[in-house]
Amino acid sequence: MDRHALHQPSSSSSSIPATANTVWTDASPLLEVACKDLRDGELIHVDNFNLYAAMSALEIMDPKMDSGIVNRYCSVDEAIEDGVAPVPISTDKTTDVQCMIDIMDHLLTCEATWHKGHSLAQTVFSCAYLLRPERTSSHALLHSYCKVIRATCKAVITVVSDARTHEEEDLFTMAYGLPLSGDGDEKCLSLLNAVEENISRQLRACKAPSSKRKPLEDIEPLQTNFDLEEGYCKALLCRLRFRKHFFHVLTCMRRPQGRGLELARKHIASCISELGVILKSAEFLMSNAHGTCEDATEDRTTASGHQAIGFDASLNSRISAPTPPRSIKILSWKKAIEYFEKLLHDLDIICSYPLDPSLEVLLRFVAQFQKAQPDLVARAHLQLLLVQDGKLYGKCPMFSLIIRAARLPEVFLHHDIQKNEYVVQLGQLVINMLKILCTNAAWQRRKLGKILQDWRVIYVQIELAFRKDFGEGSSISNGDNASARILKHILIWVDEQTYWISHRFLILGFELELYSPSEYCMVYWYLYVVLIRLAEKTHLKMTVSDGSAKQKGKKRKDSPKELARDAKIPPAISFLQCQICLAEGLTVLLAALRNELMVLQSPSPFNSEHEVKYVLMYMVVNIIIHLNNKEMFQNIIEFQMIKRGNNGYSLHK
Amino acid sequence: MEQVQEKQRTEEFDASEIEYVIYGGEHHLPLIMNLVDQELSEPYSIFTYRYFVYLWPQLSFMAFHKGKCVGTVVCKMGDHRDSKFRGYIAMLVVIKPYRGRGIATELVTRSIQVMMESGCEEVTLEAEVTNKGALALYGRLGFIRAKRLFRYYLNGVDAFRLKLLFPQPEELHPFLPMMADRDDTQNHDDHSPREEFLLKSILFSEVVCKFSSLV
Repeated sequence: MDRHALHQPSSSSSSIPATANTVWTDASPLLEVACKDLRDGELIHVDNFNLYAAMSALEIMDPKMDSGIVNRYCSVDEAIEDGVAPVPISTDKTTDVQCMIDIMDHLLTCEATWHKGHSLAQTVFSCAYLLRPERTSSHALLHSYCKVIRATCKAVITVVSDARTHEEEDLFTMAYGLPLSGDGDEKCLSLLNAVEENISRQLRACKAPSSKRKPLEDIEPLQTNFDLEEGYCKALLCRLRFRKHFFHVLTCMRRPQGRGLELARKHIASCISELGVILKSAEFLMSNAHGTCEDATEDRTTASGHQAIGFDASLNSRISAPTPPRSIKILSWKKAIEYFEKLLHDLDIICSYPLDPSLEVLLRFVAQFQKAQPDLVARAHLQLLLVQDGKLYGKCPMFSLIIRAARLPEVFLHHDIQKNEYVVQLGQLVINMLKILCTNAAWQRRKLGKILQDWRVIYVQIELAFRKDFGEGSSISNGDNASARILKHILIWVDEQTYWISHRFLILGFELELYSPSEYCMVYWYLYVVLIRLAEKTHLKMTVSDGSAKQKGKKRKDSPKELARDAKIPPAISFLQCQICLAEGLTVLLAALRNELMVLQSPSPFNSEHEVKYVLMYMVVNIIIHLNNKEMFQNIIEFQMIKRGNNGYSLHK
Repeated sequence: MEQVQEKQRTEEFDASEIEYVIYGGEHHLPLIMNLVDQELSEPYSIFTYRYFVYLWPQLSFMAFHKGKCVGTVVCKMGDHRDSKFRGYIAMLVVIKPYRGRGIATELVTRSIQVMMESGCEEVTLEAEVTNKGALALYGRLGFIRAKRLFRYYLNGVDAFRLKLLFPQPEELHPFLPMMADRDDTQNHDDHSPREEFLLKSILFSEVVCKFSSLV
């Protein structure tokens, strides 16, 4: 091989200037020689050239893969030198203001696109103004706005990064090489306030009646066209105020132990109100857009329809992800506003949660919250509210949560058994479960299926410890032995919680559209079994705690009222019974359709129902099969017979 | 990876005119690449294609009509986590005029047949949740939706992981990990894991039948 060829820079193609660490040279001759040497179908590769490597490989100069081919600029500085991001944006003040508003709008759409799952580098930081913070210092409005954008992005990244549970957050938080912490960005709000104050004065000045139009203060107007002054002042003010309030929402929600939630709600309300004003400003902005309106369609990324100045998604391609950055579609302006409206609504729900110390109430809240399909930013905030410093809401230790959930009296809150290794582990499982419940439904379901095993294991461990310390067949009324009582209650609760997780696992399958109609019968069957066990355990937990409470009470004859009260079924049980009936009904209906009408069956050339069941259900069957076959079967049939025997429904014992 | 199945204008032909050919060598590679490049928006480098067809030529098939390549399937198989020997369908394409006539089903079936004969325990693939055609095709073949993958594709669309589990002879079936831990806590008949599971299945059908009669 001709080594000499390597060191001869071809004068026509070394257009890339050498830097301190790199000297470019033309490798084409070398490649040509190598190509002639290889035969068709031959490949030179290292041993670990696997599928991942193959898929990440680039064909150089293929525009679909090699983003450098389509780049106009090699660097941000080159783009700036070429006039991509002028400061001031225009020498004409009116145009400058119009362009400024376009930039603000486009940044909003970039931000929403980022939140929705694209990289920060290709969205928000496709703005050249953001990439060189020092350049904008002469333009107060642009400078303060850029600062608050950077500070906001940083705050959101911190939240998502702190709440990290799995890969979903990784692309979101990737900010390598981006100037997220500009100098003095923490003071962004005071700068923004100053600018806002100025524009408010300009607005007041232009609205003053003409007779009184003696300049009270020597105010220079915002821009040169007097008729448009009010419109542009208002358009700017609502955008600035939105950013201010949004930043406040983020800082308030991060205050420990949920102390800032009430104040956050006020800022959320302000944000939503300003978003309304922003939307309304579109009419004014579109009709007064400089030059012809380029894009009046729903796809436009600015209110005015004009393309914003200073943006180029390829500017960061060199510091972006290692895989070739594909071109992404930025959300439309309307969709971006809708996104923020939803985000604010979801954050408001979180802020209005009364931080109930009951796990039951919390689980119901989280399950309900997830139904609205909240996005990553909202879910991250929820998780950080729920789990801080290993405690619920940063205040309730896991042990106290468990004691309450197991319906043990508060006197046990400081019992030594909290130091027991299994009890500590159980606390960790609860924390882990809470974090999982705040993730996206798809990942959540898989993870819930996996932790079922952990919950089973801890049950077995605690049960073994209980038997070891207190022997077989201890009844709960082992009065004085507090540890025994605590463990017994906890065991019942762990069982109940395991069935709750199983239930959620099954139900999420519907939300995620995992089940096809031929599988419904089996799903409802398993739901039926799980619900029966859940109701049983819930009932047992309540009976056991009432029973122990009763023992401590005075010995007196039970009044008829008390008996009647005891016979009433608690609402939680009633609710479960309703669900049991629904599940049973659906199972029977679908079974009848299959057996009698031969519909909803899935004949497969390759396997049978057994395999379908195995794949779909093994996690849940795992839980259910710790029962004896006969026992489970008997339970269900007994349940059926009791239902038919009584007028009201009651659980068998 | 991607699957394409949408009905549009059709070409007239008889099913017997379609010739199914197993991957035969380098001369087939450009045909496969052109087909996939044409129909899919995701660019695959040539390395990706070579990876599949070089290591598993017996799993890739093409459909020809009068000498023209109208469809292809590209697959792999190997040891996966949990030491499961698993087949994977990477790409499936049939050009638009030939869709809706069972060509894709035939291509996939042939691949799966080879996987089964080679000892695979299961076959998987990913498909966009919006790809009704692919989901229906694989559904008919017995694939179930094992998982949903959030924002799996670059355009933000979720995917289903589809899975087809082959029936296993009793001794070889890897079973639920928890079974081993149960012994000390339960007092029941000593069934093997597989038997237990079968009992559960029988239980299900039995109870279901009983329910029907209770109605």
